[in-house]
Amino acid sequence: MPTILLTPLISAVIIALLLRRQGNLAAGVSVAAAGIICVLSLKLIFGKEGLNTSYKWLELGALQINLGFLWDANTATMLFVVAFVGFWIHVFSLGYMHNDEGKARYFGGLSIFMFSMLGIVFADNLFMIFIFWELVGFSSYMLIAHYHKTDEASRACRKAFIVNRVGDLGFVLGILLTFWSLGTANISELQAIATQHPDKITNTIGLLLMCGFIGKSAQFPLHVWLPDAMAGPTPVSALIHAATMVAAGIYFLIRIQFLITTDVLTLIVWLGAAMALYAGICALTQRDIKKILAYSTLSQLGYMSAAFGLGYTGIALFHLTTHAFFKALMFLGSGSVIYGCHHEQDIFKMGGLYKRMPVTAFTFGIGVLAISGVPFLSGFFSKDAILIAANLKSTPIFLVLMAAAVLTAFYMGRLYWITFLGKSNSEHAEHAKETPVVMWLPLVVLATLSIIGGYQNFPYIKELFHAFHGSLEKLHHEEGHDAAHNLLLVLGTVAWVVGLGGSYIFYKAGSSMDNLERQQPKLFGILRKALFFDPLYNFYVAKIQNKVADIIDVIDKLIIQGVLVRGSAGILYVTGLFTRMLHGGNLQYYSFWVAIGVLILGAFALGWIG
Amino acid sequence: MTIGINEFLTVSGLLFSIGMFGVLFRRNTIIMLMSLELMLNAVNLALVGFSRHNQDLDGSLFVFFIITVAAAEVAVGLAILVGLYRKRESVMADHLNLLND
Amino acid sequence: MLNLLFYIFATMTLVPAFLMVTSRSPVSGAMYMIASFVGMACLFVLLEAFFLAILQVLVYAGAIMVLFLFIIMLLDMDEAEDLRTKSLPSMAAMIAFGLLLVTVLSFFKGSYDGPLSPIQATTTTTVVTEAIDLKAKPPALPFSTKARTFGYGLFTKYMLPFQVTGILLLIAMVGVIVLSKRHEAQGGKQEG
Repeated sequence: MPTILLTPLISAVIIALLLRRQGNLAAGVSVAAAGIICVLSLKLIFGKEGLNTSYKWLELGALQINLGFLWDANTATMLFVVAFVGFWIHVFSLGYMHNDEGKARYFGGLSIFMFSMLGIVFADNLFMIFIFWELVGFSSYMLIAHYHKTDEASRACRKAFIVNRVGDLGFVLGILLTFWSLGTANISELQAIATQHPDKITNTIGLLLMCGFIGKSAQFPLHVWLPDAMAGPTPVSALIHAATMVAAGIYFLIRIQFLITTDVLTLIVWLGAAMALYAGICALTQRDIKKILAYSTLSQLGYMSAAFGLGYTGIALFHLTTHAFFKALMFLGSGSVIYGCHHEQDIFKMGGLYKRMPVTAFTFGIGVLAISGVPFLSGFFSKDAILIAANLKSTPIFLVLMAAAVLTAFYMGRLYWITFLGKSNSEHAEHAKETPVVMWLPLVVLATLSIIGGYQNFPYIKELFHAFHGSLEKLHHEEGHDAAHNLLLVLGTVAWVVGLGGSYIFYKAGSSMDNLERQQPKLFGILRKALFFDPLYNFYVAKIQNKVADIIDVIDKLIIQGVLVRGSAGILYVTGLFTRMLHGGNLQYYSFWVAIGVLILGAFALGWIG
Repeated sequence: MTIGINEFLTVSGLLFSIGMFGVLFRRNTIIMLMSLELMLNAVNLALVGFSRHNQDLDGSLFVFFIITVAAAEVAVGLAILVGLYRKRESVMADHLNLLND
Repeated sequence: MLNLLFYIFATMTLVPAFLMVTSRSPVSGAMYMIASFVGMACLFVLLEAFFLAILQVLVYAGAIMVLFLFIIMLLDMDEAEDLRTKSLPSMAAMIAFGLLLVTVLSFFKGSYDGPLSPIQATTTTTVVTEAIDLKAKPPALPFSTKARTFGYGLFTKYMLPFQVTGILLLIAMVGVIVLSKRHEAQGGKQEG
């Protein structure tokens, strides 16, 4: 396991130190590192030879920070997602970033990200998770800012960083509180304490730790950064902002599930369900293909947190895994489309791409069907499990999630019909070509996974199911499961048929105008308003935070700059004036200093001074 | 007045002062180097005087080492001077002001 | 008698030293310097350090000053120096000189009054019969007029410094050769 963790770090270091100008070499190193990670991880997962070790890193009084590895079924599944999907996204990047100037920087960033993400996957204590948590934040910042010359990207990366800071403040407080009240930060030890003394686990700890999850997984109310983060290169969106990093929040919750109290769980359910619906509404009015996918990611993350909050952690991880497959597939597919259309991202300027990009269109279609919950694809199994669980536990949650499911199918259908079917709506789309093999091969691989990812008896896939079994079994034995299951078979089918069919009828294949905007401008405006969070935050920043900042600025100018900085600079200046006298540049000047030294020494020895 | 160690030390002090004065006063680096030798000699005299006074040979042995080191120092110092003279055509200290800002 | 000799020798040391410092040409400075060194050797004799007196004449007056003269003549830099006694550095030098005199002289004043005690008879100058044990505590070395005591001290108590000095001389020799070697490119530039 240490080898897996260190490989991307070594790759990143090599790229940062030696290969900054050799983009192709850097790409090779990074992809090779991802390949090594992938092979080693698969060996580890299917060989089941995980180990739990711990290295002492630093010790501050009672606080001992270890770098350790905790291996269980959850780790195996998450490792598979990160290593396998990560590898194929690396491969895809080879094609997508082929002509990019900052290729070396990009691949270095990917390697750092892999390192940090694997760190979170393996970490056996909260401090280590926090360190790698911040590292993924950094690499995400760096990769969003890849096109740093554009205003959008530089703004987006700052936004992502700052919004994450808000969540991380709560997170670090939560870790400190955990350590302070429970005396350890090691996850296994925490679990032991939590089972022995359940009374020690307070709502505060759960709430604070949840803040970290909310920031990283872009949940209410810190979700604003994720759509903007789409300013980064598309493979990055696929890797970081769909498959792995945002899912790290869920993974983290699963790791520390015993620290989350029932009250907090309820909160998480409601946040998740609300997010699933709200993000679906937002996605309806978007024109940018990546933004639609970003809102869809938010919505699916909402599903996951709902599943977690309902107490079925395994199902949350199940949906995380299948979502990683089909959402990475769709992001890469959108990357392929964007690449084929010369960086056109507006779906209303595409259209008719199925003829020109058959592989992309076909695989993307699989992704759309999977996310909509069409039977026999991976999304069907995980999503249905969540809906059944919701149906059994709470009707309002179930209704919200059902509505979100219909919406999902609707906006995904809208995206697909407009982009791939009908006739082309612009020059670029007309001349689009199928992408090279390095780009469509990952699509095929991920499409395969999206199809088979839900079958728990499939060879190899069944190894991943160790993490899900517990929850799935529990769900099966719930009272009324069979009735709910049958109900869901009907309702689920209704949801995707209504969603996909409705969007086809409403939007028409390959349309060049938003039908909703044309027919119901008022409704469209209202839905647009659903994005009110950004103005709200802007208002807060402009009216409140800036005022506070102004006051702090005055204090800063007066005390810090005036007294401390200028003052110390002044002292240094005077000292400099004096010491410059010592440096006359003339040999005899120096001998005068020797003479003065002799005189002082003599006077001192004689007792005249001192 | 009998001659004791004190008188020798006085001569040594005078010699040291003259040497120091030479280093400060002169701009010719060769003379400065000689003045340095003078200062070393003054120290030698004091050391031998103390050695004689304390009936201990260590001081005298120290003088032996000082003479050896002084010989080495002069050799290197003069070699540097020759190098300087080749480069700058002068041995005057006020011309050697490359370090001046 | 001893008093008279002391005053003669002290004058022989101090006056040429002062003349050296104030002489305008380096060659005459070097000559004064030799005289001063000889005077110093005589003072050593008065202190009954005969070996050092000879060493002083041989090494200082003989070797070092010849080296100085050699360099002066080799480079032909016997230019008379304008002493500029009125300039600021010179004034400062004089002031420093005065202060130094006061300090140094008051430093020694009255500390060691009284005549020199006669040299005590010593035993270490007897022929060494046993092998010298370098690890044992170094023997005390009483003052002696004999060169043999010097040798004894150097090879017992001061064995390590003695050898280090040898290496130092070697380094100085190599250093001088390196320093005074004409570098081809540099020399060519200057002459071209």
